[in-house]
Amino acid sequence: MSTIDWIVLFATLVSIVAYGLYRSRGSDTVDRFLLAGKTMPWYAMALSIMATQASAVTFISTTGQSYVDGMRFVQFYFGLPIAMVILCATVVPAFHRAKVFTAYEYLEQRFDSKTRALASVIFLCQRGLSAGLTLYAPAIVLSAILGWPDRVTILLMGITVITYTSLGGVKAVTWSDVQQMCIIFFGLIAALVVIIRLLPQAVSFPDALYLAGAAGRLNAVTTRFDWNDRFTLWSGLIGGTFLFLSYFGCDQSQVQRYLTGSSIAQSRLGLLFNAVAKIPMQFFILFIGAMVFVFHLFVQPPILFEAAEAGRIQASRAYRPIDDQYSQAFQRRRQAAMDLLAAHHARDTAGERQRVDEYRSAQRDLDDVRTQAAMLVEDTGGERGYSDTNYIFLSFVTRYLPVGLVGLIIAVIFAATMSASAGEINSLATVTMVDLYRRYFRRSAPDHHYLMASRWATVFWGAYAIASAGLGRKLGSLIVAVNVMGSLFYGSLLGVFVLAFFFRRVGGTAAFLGMLAGEAVVFWAFFFTGISFLWYNVIGCAVVILTAFVITYWIAPGRRAEV
Amino acid sequence: MPGLREVPDEPPPFLGTWKNVYGAVLIYLVLIIAAAYAFTQALE
Repeated sequence: MSTIDWIVLFATLVSIVAYGLYRSRGSDTVDRFLLAGKTMPWYAMALSIMATQASAVTFISTTGQSYVDGMRFVQFYFGLPIAMVILCATVVPAFHRAKVFTAYEYLEQRFDSKTRALASVIFLCQRGLSAGLTLYAPAIVLSAILGWPDRVTILLMGITVITYTSLGGVKAVTWSDVQQMCIIFFGLIAALVVIIRLLPQAVSFPDALYLAGAAGRLNAVTTRFDWNDRFTLWSGLIGGTFLFLSYFGCDQSQVQRYLTGSSIAQSRLGLLFNAVAKIPMQFFILFIGAMVFVFHLFVQPPILFEAAEAGRIQASRAYRPIDDQYSQAFQRRRQAAMDLLAAHHARDTAGERQRVDEYRSAQRDLDDVRTQAAMLVEDTGGERGYSDTNYIFLSFVTRYLPVGLVGLIIAVIFAATMSASAGEINSLATVTMVDLYRRYFRRSAPDHHYLMASRWATVFWGAYAIASAGLGRKLGSLIVAVNVMGSLFYGSLLGVFVLAFFFRRVGGTAAFLGMLAGEAVVFWAFFFTGISFLWYNVIGCAVVILTAFVITYWIAPGRRAEV
Repeated sequence: MPGLREVPDEPPPFLGTWKNVYGAVLIYLVLIIAAAYAFTQALE
């Protein structure tokens, strides 16, 4: 990176932290530290919710995913507006009226303390696992660009996040999120404009769309039903609705954002803004990846996008023939793309069909050679199941974007990481303090004591996230890994909240046993079946409700109030 | 530790009632899926 890029990067990061801390002045009571004294306007909540959900993984991995697999991932978000409407109509007013700090506090009001404790522990397990992954993503960035060890980057990012989160609480998190989202929007729009301008003169924007579409990179909607396909219209609408109901209704990292609202209406508007804006935003990010694909139709990409692994396999004797094949396959695909465009411009329908087949065949050949290179990584002692998907966008940014914009895009990735990580650490600390420490260890203490406990819990979870971040290296596509981890736990959490809101006759013991059964079945499905992760939320939720019903109405019908 | 304050419920700033706002969001979802489907069909 050039000096200007470094200046842009550090100026952006310092301004984010400084602004967040400036806006968080007066966070000197538990109420203000954890819920901003319930004073936040809808637009701050809306952008904070969006920023907490959009981690660096979103930008690194999603763009790579559309480069290799097209835009099908956008369907994952089709359930979001449905979930938001349901939550705005039910959960948001209920949580506000219950005057709770956490979603799990509500479960004790409705059921009992053991159900609240189990839900809190499930949340801490799930969110604690992904907190490390959130920090790991930008570590890839700097290790790819500077050759810094991952751990140094993780430590720097983690300490920065711990500092402003433990000092300023949720207000610092929210206001820094607002600034981060503005930078993210600006950076992404600038990146797309530059990518399109980098295309060869002879390739217009409609041509780029045509080539990306012919290669299957603009396949936003898949209507066939397949249990094992992760991204279809149906898994997105049904599985996605359940996942987002769980995420926004039962995950404290999101619930805490909208509990800071100055009114129920402000909280609803914050969520509905996400319902409307999230799908276009994801579409836009995926589209960037598809345009990077088109750019590399004409400019040869590296055989592996991760420079370190690409350099390492060059020492192998098997590398040279693979590299030669790769150059030939690239030239063939480039020619096929140009021939296809020529046929398209000439409106030669028969010729176009033939050229499309050749173009797709050339693409398959190129993919095959890249697969051989990935296998060579394994054969030479590298990671099993190696994938360089997460390096595609960053490789492009650092090689081809102009000075200044590189620094800004890297800042976008850091900003996204800090916002997601701060939200996670803040919510983990809140649940630890409110649902465990205050509930089971110090039930009555001065406000200042709980404020300090919240700050120390923030430091603890920040340190834990730093320590567990190395896990990310073993998990392939990070965006999928994060969502798989969430889906292992969210179904049960959603099930117990559905029982709480809609089935008044179900008692605490039935809800508690239902959650245990839900987790057992989801883990069974994860280890022993090929069912796609989006369905785990549906399965987990259904098992919790079914088990609670069986206990309430069949096993112990005479003791309904007790169970 | 003091309790949290009561927050007011208010009507939405547009479309009159929350039910109308929710309906508008769901119509928007249908339109955006239709647009994405048309985009896929047109370019694939």
